[in-house]
Amino acid sequence: MGSRLDPGEGGVSEQRFASGFLFPGAVWLLLFFLVPLGILLAISFGTTDDLGNSLYGWHPENYRDAFDPLFAPVLLRSVGYALATVVLCLAIGYPIAYYIARFGGRRKNVLIALVVLPFFVNYLVRTYAWVAILGDEGIFNGAMNTDIRFLNTPYAVIGGLVYGYLAFMILPIYAALDRMDPSLIEAGKDLYGSRWHTFRHVTFPHTFQGVLAGAVLVFLPAVGDFVSAQLLGGPDEYMVGNLIQQQFFAAENWPFGAALTTLMMLFLLIFMVMYLRSAAKASREAMA
Amino acid sequence: MSLSRRELLRSGAGLAIGAAGLSGCQLNSGVQASAGETRKPFAKKIDGDLAYFNWGEYINPDIVKDFEKRYGVKVRESNFDSMPAMMAKLRAGISYDLIFPTAEFAQRLIRGNQLRVFDHDKLRNADAVFDQFQQPWYDRNSAHTTPYTIYATGLGYRGDKVGELSGTWRDLVSPEAEGRSFILDDFQEGIGMANMVNGYDLNTVDPEELDRSKDFLIDLKPKLRGFSSDTIGNMTSGNAWIQHLWNGDVVNVRNQVDNPEDFKFQKCREGIPVGSDTFAIPVNAKHPGTALMFIDFVLEPENAARNVEWIGYPMPYRGGAEEAFAGLVKDDPSIAVTVNDLDNGQQYENLEGEGRKAWDRAWTQVKVA
Repeated sequence: MGSRLDPGEGGVSEQRFASGFLFPGAVWLLLFFLVPLGILLAISFGTTDDLGNSLYGWHPENYRDAFDPLFAPVLLRSVGYALATVVLCLAIGYPIAYYIARFGGRRKNVLIALVVLPFFVNYLVRTYAWVAILGDEGIFNGAMNTDIRFLNTPYAVIGGLVYGYLAFMILPIYAALDRMDPSLIEAGKDLYGSRWHTFRHVTFPHTFQGVLAGAVLVFLPAVGDFVSAQLLGGPDEYMVGNLIQQQFFAAENWPFGAALTTLMMLFLLIFMVMYLRSAAKASREAMA
Repeated sequence: MSLSRRELLRSGAGLAIGAAGLSGCQLNSGVQASAGETRKPFAKKIDGDLAYFNWGEYINPDIVKDFEKRYGVKVRESNFDSMPAMMAKLRAGISYDLIFPTAEFAQRLIRGNQLRVFDHDKLRNADAVFDQFQQPWYDRNSAHTTPYTIYATGLGYRGDKVGELSGTWRDLVSPEAEGRSFILDDFQEGIGMANMVNGYDLNTVDPEELDRSKDFLIDLKPKLRGFSSDTIGNMTSGNAWIQHLWNGDVVNVRNQVDNPEDFKFQKCREGIPVGSDTFAIPVNAKHPGTALMFIDFVLEPENAARNVEWIGYPMPYRGGAEEAFAGLVKDDPSIAVTVNDLDNGQQYENLEGEGRKAWDRAWTQVKVA
């Protein structure tokens, strides 16, 4: 952590003053994050009555069932799709972030606003739009006079994920590039570095933490996503998110769905911890 | 900083333990009700806007508009895409005034004290209901429901793309469909179809039989395009050449496309699941009076007739509804479904406890395979 919060530097009263501002956020997190998490955990050990209501109890078999090897391919597929999504988002997002940060000039803020603009429309609705565009007799095939089957394929699902989460990659990379001193790139060139070498040895390492943040921000929601596979996928594109969604809204088995959710969160926590450690290390190195 | 974070963590864990300590208590108090609450009397009069909860595209929108106009209220429409999805919303305690459960889910809701008792004498046209529904198996004396429609499940298909089908459920994966086949994303209809193909009782809970039905569906998967209950969307968009669906949806699709003669329906010889949907008023409805007014309005012979023509399903009432469906059947006998089919055909039962769990497990296994 930075040293700004050490009492010695800012003074005790200033720290108190700053802590006061944390209060609404802390209440918010307690009410809408920790409490639901506790309820989820409690449900995951429960069972249901004939109406499907969750009953609390001690039924660890929900967790035993979750470790059924049947589910392993679904988890692997989800991780695979999410990794592919991260790679594609990086390949598409980095150049966009680079262009905006280095050559955006006065239009920088407008360009960033344009990146964020699609978020004004709900992800589900935007994905429905793709169904209309990519259908067999949809807008694309109609306009191009082609007969391409886009929908219900893994490509459509990964495409949907990339489309849905691209901004999460662009924004942190843009922030890292924007912070970077452009004279470093000039220095690289002055030292006879080719454009590629300068990028590889100067620009990219300087923005690596942004890339990592982007990768985590894209990976986490993508691996648990169910909308893309539900609307754009076929029978063989079933993801963990779909499995969990099915337990809640089809099987009416909230306890099993909650157990799967809890395990999924623990699994994702591994990636989160890895990222946080890397970020902490980078910030220590930057201080040194 | 770090202190308060630790405090937060500790109180979070405390909450979890505290919640778990309520062992045996129910979580969603919103859907707990006593038999007494279901019998609270109410008047058949407009008592506010109508919170309406039904399948999508399952009522003639003109009827809704006319109701709003005649009584000066709003109909706030929400949709579900499966019975379990409807149940999830009800369990969450959301208050609706009018819902449309299938017979077997109506029975489940009645057993759980979730539906209001209402007086059929207040409905001017309810006595036109077919005799077979005077004493329905799912609702003694029809105390909590009145029928909405009857349906049969079969295959909708594009005659111009796949030609004629051969009369079996296995046509789903006929090569002519080139992989453009969808199965309903519905655990009952999915497992039920497989049970019929295998010659089992529609509602079997025998583990070995369910296992083989599960395997049948898994074998179909490589030749399917997907599991989807957006039947009308799939067919009108051209994404589905063969779609597992309910008979009336074909009529609805035909009303929306330029080439209605190409959209056909097949009842399959291994067996046809037949069922019925109902009007029902949830126990926590805020405007049961408006709900009853709305049911009455839909059952007016003229409205029932134009509703049947629009949704494509028969409503089991003598008069306008009966004549309207007879007209549809004259154009296409394949979509016919009658109350006799309810006696002869197989109806989904209300699966409870382990039986329901076994079906859900089989369906999950189909999905993840």
